[in-house]
Amino acid sequence: MALEDYRRDIEGCSRCSSCKWVPYNQIKSWRFSKNCPSIYRHNFHTYSGSGRMVIGLSLLEGRVELDETVAEIIYKCQLCGACDSACKTYRDDIDISEVLLELRAYCVEQGELLIEHMAMIDALKREGNTLGEPKAQRGDWAEGLDVKDVNAETCDVLFHAGCRYSYDRDARQTARGHVQLMRSAGMGVGIAGKEESCCGGRAYELGYRGEAANYADDVLSLVKSSGAKTLVTACADCYSHFQYVYPKMGKELPVEILHVSQVTEKLLDSGKLRFRRKLPLSVTYHDPCHLGRKGEPFAGVWKGDKLDRPMNLKRSGRKGVYDAPRNVIDEIPGLELTEMERIREYAWCCGAGGGVLEAFEDFSASTTAERIAEALATGAEALVTSCPWCLRVFKDAVEETSACIAVYDLTDLALMSAGIAQPAAV
Amino acid sequence: MIRVISDEAYKELEAAVGPDNVSRLPVVLDSYAFQPFENHESMPWCPSPVAVALPSTTEEVSEVIKACNRHGLKHKAFSTGWGMWCGPTTDNVVQIDLRRMNQIVEIDEKNQFAIVEPYVCGAQLQAEAMKVGLNTHIIGAGPNTSPLASATSMYGVGHDGIYMSYSARNVLGLEWVQPTGEVLRLGSPGSDKGWFSGDGPGPSLRGTMRGYTGALGGMGVFTKVALKLFNWPGPPQVKSSGTVVDLTSEIPENIGLYMCFFPNADKLADAYYDIGEAEIGYNSLKVATPAFMMVLAPHLFKKLKDTKNLSRMLGKTMGHLFLMLLAGTSKEDLAHQERVLEAIVDEHDGFILDQKNIPPLKSNFMMNFIRATLPALVFRIGGSFSTALGRNDSLDSQVTWGEAIADIKRGYASKGQIIDDMGDNPYFVPYESNMFAHCEVVYPYDHRNPRYLEGSNNITMDFIIGAVELCMEAGFGTLPPARKILSPLTSNYNYWQKKFSEAFDPDQGSDKGLYTDETEFDFSEIAPERVAKLERLVKERTWTELGPPE
Repeated sequence: MALEDYRRDIEGCSRCSSCKWVPYNQIKSWRFSKNCPSIYRHNFHTYSGSGRMVIGLSLLEGRVELDETVAEIIYKCQLCGACDSACKTYRDDIDISEVLLELRAYCVEQGELLIEHMAMIDALKREGNTLGEPKAQRGDWAEGLDVKDVNAETCDVLFHAGCRYSYDRDARQTARGHVQLMRSAGMGVGIAGKEESCCGGRAYELGYRGEAANYADDVLSLVKSSGAKTLVTACADCYSHFQYVYPKMGKELPVEILHVSQVTEKLLDSGKLRFRRKLPLSVTYHDPCHLGRKGEPFAGVWKGDKLDRPMNLKRSGRKGVYDAPRNVIDEIPGLELTEMERIREYAWCCGAGGGVLEAFEDFSASTTAERIAEALATGAEALVTSCPWCLRVFKDAVEETSACIAVYDLTDLALMSAGIAQPAAV
Repeated sequence: MIRVISDEAYKELEAAVGPDNVSRLPVVLDSYAFQPFENHESMPWCPSPVAVALPSTTEEVSEVIKACNRHGLKHKAFSTGWGMWCGPTTDNVVQIDLRRMNQIVEIDEKNQFAIVEPYVCGAQLQAEAMKVGLNTHIIGAGPNTSPLASATSMYGVGHDGIYMSYSARNVLGLEWVQPTGEVLRLGSPGSDKGWFSGDGPGPSLRGTMRGYTGALGGMGVFTKVALKLFNWPGPPQVKSSGTVVDLTSEIPENIGLYMCFFPNADKLADAYYDIGEAEIGYNSLKVATPAFMMVLAPHLFKKLKDTKNLSRMLGKTMGHLFLMLLAGTSKEDLAHQERVLEAIVDEHDGFILDQKNIPPLKSNFMMNFIRATLPALVFRIGGSFSTALGRNDSLDSQVTWGEAIADIKRGYASKGQIIDDMGDNPYFVPYESNMFAHCEVVYPYDHRNPRYLEGSNNITMDFIIGAVELCMEAGFGTLPPARKILSPLTSNYNYWQKKFSEAFDPDQGSDKGLYTDETEFDFSEIAPERVAKLERLVKERTWTELGPPE
């Protein structure tokens, strides 16, 4: 697909600005009624979902030339997908998220690249991860764990840690916890260690389609050789790419794909995991974009007029993973969940995605700060989430601002309540 | 020809709002030139502005306007910016995007009003008002729109009209940056007496400020408005899950929703009159039965619409209905209102489908209705839609019009130039004790398909001819070609609008394309006999300086 293929989507925009707001029936206050970090920060219509679609039309019609400035606007977006979900409360025939991705692919095709993203892609090519860390150390997080090495033997469940859990020193303990949690329930978990590669999703989001396809091939081949029937990841980004981007690229993984929160929920349901320890804590839960609205599985492409597209092929964001983490929270004795105003498919983004964290640090930080403010407004003592990227930016923001709220990975709370490990928290 | 702003003028705009809040980047300007909704002539573009400014205060707005005037630039403001009427209509326009003026300045619970800035949207204001037991009027276009914009600058009807009237009626004070850049406060704030009365103490210029339709950005910039708020007997927050089509809400025991069916349009109208006299009703909307299916299940609608006699069956048996939401101050009050409604509907040979017997429908419709979220779903069927008439008149005459226009629509639907929606499909709301009603007849189409656009010029003309024939206000009065035809037939209204414009805007700095401009209608695609018919009607009904025709 190319930008031209989405011309009808773009021309279909009525500029109603629904892409800028939380779906109207869910607006609960003036303060937390906006949904798009980019226009919230930059204000010109150009930065909204609608405005970005107009950029596409202007480029297609030759009204505007792609240059450094235009590319910068295109990349000042986390690709959180909130505009897309909001638009689709009214429209069946517009896929804003796809247009945003095509704009980036167009930038790459035309050679309008951001230096920060080029550095990330170079690191990816060199070391196989987006953080530029040594490939040889990718498996260090699992040192000493009782877990199968899929390079040497087959397994039932392949655990894909992802770049952030593999290298982020604060997150590594949690990565071990994911495996410990599954192992405690008797699951035959295997990992690829230093042979695990990036899912390639971030490359896809930046518009580097070739690199993304290469990494998808690597993961596909590893999954096949592992003999696993289930692929589990704790990274929301990886989950979204496995569920949506891979099949869209024609590289569907031939296994069940689960996020660790879904695994935890299943283990609880089957009685293989029990929470015993009471955690007297009021919490609020942040839906990671890639686990929520962007975690909706790929349902197929409709080649006809999208006005006639069957509803099951419309990516509304409603079929993301929302209930599993909440059900896990609900099962932990003592935890009291107070929801933020913007949740589920209309959740506010953490600020880390789409290459913004790497290229536009201030914009990323202001987006994070907005979510922290919303979490604080609930009065909760802790902010819980299920994505290492969200976790990273939340922890950094809380540390920097001394905000009075703890930040937890959901698995850390599960481990603590199950008596498997002590949590790591800010 | 691409116009550019001079460096000197641009620097003055930067000085007014700060360098980060003004842009002349082509990519930014193009995003403001994209205005496809109701833009039949140059889909999807309007003239590109030469710069966009984002003021955050009234003083900054004033400075922007003064800078524009110094450099011979026009200015055009918008609030939330939906529809071609928000964009420039000519070259050399600085678009003033009021997005940063987004505060609910005050909600005065005791005196039941709110002071808001331009970029507060209806849903925001309603959410905050409900927390203190109050509610705000939201226009039919939806909760994404600015209450300030509809109160000051454009129309302003909604399906809460039965209880909350329409936007122009609810203005209790106003801050207005005139086209000269001077700041004027109207109503009681004009004499620093608070924001409680649009008619003073202080200058009462409500008619001048907006007239009937509003100046659509052609008379300076409105920066604050005090709006009347109304009783909200529901909870501070209606607990809901889902968004629109999948919405489910907890229904308070003192709120009920009813579909009232009548055997014909006259009976429906009479029932509305009696309901007005009985002073019940919180929201009400006359709808066409197929419209429900069209917005909630468009695929099913498409499959069924060609079913032989289905349209006739729906028209005959379920063609005349309105939705009525009753909100009691208590469960007992609701029961009383319910009895009154039942008696009135019964008296006019109608019947009621009480949605409490259809919990999923009621659970979905209540909040969608109160927040006015359903109308924009019309986009689902064809990707776009337009409306005809769009005027206010006595309720009886609106009923007549709704039926007449259905015939016009059928002709275009049969030629495939609009999507057949199986009926008149009005957006029809009563207000002012139900003596008056607003009726906009919806016709969906796909603006990306040239086949539909070919019909748009003809259909506009047909609606105008139909309205003139019936002595109705024709709508479209904001379009320069229609204004030229219609103004002489309706009190020469544009003559007076121009007078106001010249008095308040001596340098003609505001973009007046949709306020006073007149252009020739392109009759090239209109059948000669229809043009002749219009010419005859115009000749018969044109006002002279002495007054109306005999």
